[in-house]
Amino acid sequence: MAAELMQQGLNWLTLGCIYALIAVGFSLLFGVLKVIHFSHGDVSLVAPFVALAALQGWSASASGMSAIGLLVACAIAVVATGILGVVLDWLVIRRFRDAPAMMALVATVALGIALRESVGHIFPNGHNPQPFPRLIDANFNVTEGFNLPAFNVLVIGSSIAVVVLLFLLLQHTPLGVRIRAVSQDREAARLMAISPSSVFRATFFITSAIGGLGGLFYASYAGVTRFDFGIQAGLIGFSAAVVGGLGSMPGAIIGSLLIAGLDTIVQATLPDGASYRLVFAFLLVILVLVFRPAGLFGSVAVEKV
Amino acid sequence: MRPTFSDITIVIALELIGAILLRFFLLADDWRIVGGILLLFCAGFAVMQFRSDWESRIGDAFNRGTRLAVGLAILLVLLFPLALNGNTYALHLLIVSQLYAVLAIALNFQLGSANIPNFATGASYGIGAYVSALLAIHFNVNFWLALPAAAVAATAFGFLLGVPSMRTRESYLALVTIAFGVVIHQLLNNFDWTGGPNGLVGIPAPSLFGHSFASPIVIGGIKLPSQANFYYLSAVLVGIAIISAQRLHGSRIGLAWNALRADELAARCQGINVIWYKVLAFAVDAFLAAFAGTIYAFYISFISPDNFTFLVSVTIMTMVIVGGMDNIFGVIVGAFLLTMLPEKLRAFSDYRILFFGIVVILFLMIRPEGLFPQRLRRYGGSE
Repeated sequence: MAAELMQQGLNWLTLGCIYALIAVGFSLLFGVLKVIHFSHGDVSLVAPFVALAALQGWSASASGMSAIGLLVACAIAVVATGILGVVLDWLVIRRFRDAPAMMALVATVALGIALRESVGHIFPNGHNPQPFPRLIDANFNVTEGFNLPAFNVLVIGSSIAVVVLLFLLLQHTPLGVRIRAVSQDREAARLMAISPSSVFRATFFITSAIGGLGGLFYASYAGVTRFDFGIQAGLIGFSAAVVGGLGSMPGAIIGSLLIAGLDTIVQATLPDGASYRLVFAFLLVILVLVFRPAGLFGSVAVEKV
Repeated sequence: MRPTFSDITIVIALELIGAILLRFFLLADDWRIVGGILLLFCAGFAVMQFRSDWESRIGDAFNRGTRLAVGLAILLVLLFPLALNGNTYALHLLIVSQLYAVLAIALNFQLGSANIPNFATGASYGIGAYVSALLAIHFNVNFWLALPAAAVAATAFGFLLGVPSMRTRESYLALVTIAFGVVIHQLLNNFDWTGGPNGLVGIPAPSLFGHSFASPIVIGGIKLPSQANFYYLSAVLVGIAIISAQRLHGSRIGLAWNALRADELAARCQGINVIWYKVLAFAVDAFLAAFAGTIYAFYISFISPDNFTFLVSVTIMTMVIVGGMDNIFGVIVGAFLLTMLPEKLRAFSDYRILFFGIVVILFLMIRPEGLFPQRLRRYGGSE
């Protein structure tokens, strides 16, 4: 019983970390741009495809699939996803910065459709599920009957590292100060000689790269990747960010852990749990927003006249 | 003010050109003809974008010749199936476009008039379809009774959906509606009594005065395929939707919604019951959407959860935004365009969804106000 409980707890933490990597991006992007980048989930899930393409290139030149090859492929994928985010901002999203919120939302949903379909077409046989390898295939045998897979350790460890690094970046570096300044008041930041567009570029790179890492873990956890995984990943990441309160980093992480927790409990206890997991996750979203209309950690904007 | 001769000419010419282009667009198989008509369409809007005096001239002509314009439009809608050479696929496209036009008008009450996002119109549409289909299959309820029953059920859902809207706003409200939409879709997909992912089959065709809607229409030696029944039925629904939209726009309710859109706080200070009008907008949207859902279920006679996904709701949102918020005509054009476009892009087979996404983004970038921007509300009757 204890072993099973620990196993479920481990699943919960792992899933929560994966969701958090994507949710943090939604939250940070909204905080800085005041625009909901709905295709963030799709951008994140481009990473596994880039990694697969890089792997195939690698195994064509070197013989066989090695651990180093996988690592290099993932690094390429993370950087490429970051660049993709910057390119999409330059191509599309910057045109909707001052548009009404709903227009930006619909435009980024359409962008997500276009991105998904492009991946499906560009990747050979991309409309079918592609097997995706486990990033690490080892087990630590902790106690009798309880295995600690190295993959889960990797996910949890690197997520914590990424979040800490992001926190340090935002709090203690000149770039972080600029990002926070623009998110607080774009006009005032401009008067202080901070160029908002370079801050936007940096934010897009950072969030998309972090999302790309999340996407790699997401695919690796599932064992496959599909061109339309981005919808669900995006919906869950967006929900986690909103439940926590848009613009709040701790909120996004706690929102992810909440949704992942509910997910794990439902799958473990209900007989038909797997098919109802989205239902419960979104009922939680509705409940939280009914009682805390700006999310758990969001501040209610009081309109002054 | 009486229409001048040139007004009459403009109205008749534009409506006829529109109908003829629509006919060729529907019947075209060759992607070059489709592309050509689309280019012509875009060119028309480009001209309007640069020559706003022409735009206002056309607007004036339609304002002065309203009766003529409406009469001619009704005549064209009535006669249109005759011009399709019995092409059932073209009729099918028209029916689906009209149903989407109703959905878009329904959403327009919220998104256009009151600027309340709603990503659950697809769910209301689905509830309407499922309620009427279940009634018809299990209890032999006929179409004309299932229609109001479905509308009542969906309106109840609309009120439920409106409850969180009392406190949440903008992106948070958008997420609440997305959540409702996903929950409904997942439930339809998982329950046994809704047929699960396989959906419901064998919904009987409705009949009116002994004439079954599954049989062709024969009038004076002219035979129209059976789809024509549903074409006229959905055309009537579009007409009802337009009339109710205009009546609502002209009433205190429409005015209150517009006030909400302009400034919620100011509206509240004027003594407008903001919460009630918000919830009402959700209910009206769901009510109309259920009508469209019922007709869809009885027309196709097969429904599955995949007809009512999140992406369907997004498409309806896109129709309203691309067509022009709070402009009934624009919303209808948006619905027709975005329903027919993916079908007509079949020449590009697998690439059509990709093109669809790109076209939507381009529309939003090039004409951000929508194809037909909302007109200023005119107070105090005629000029």
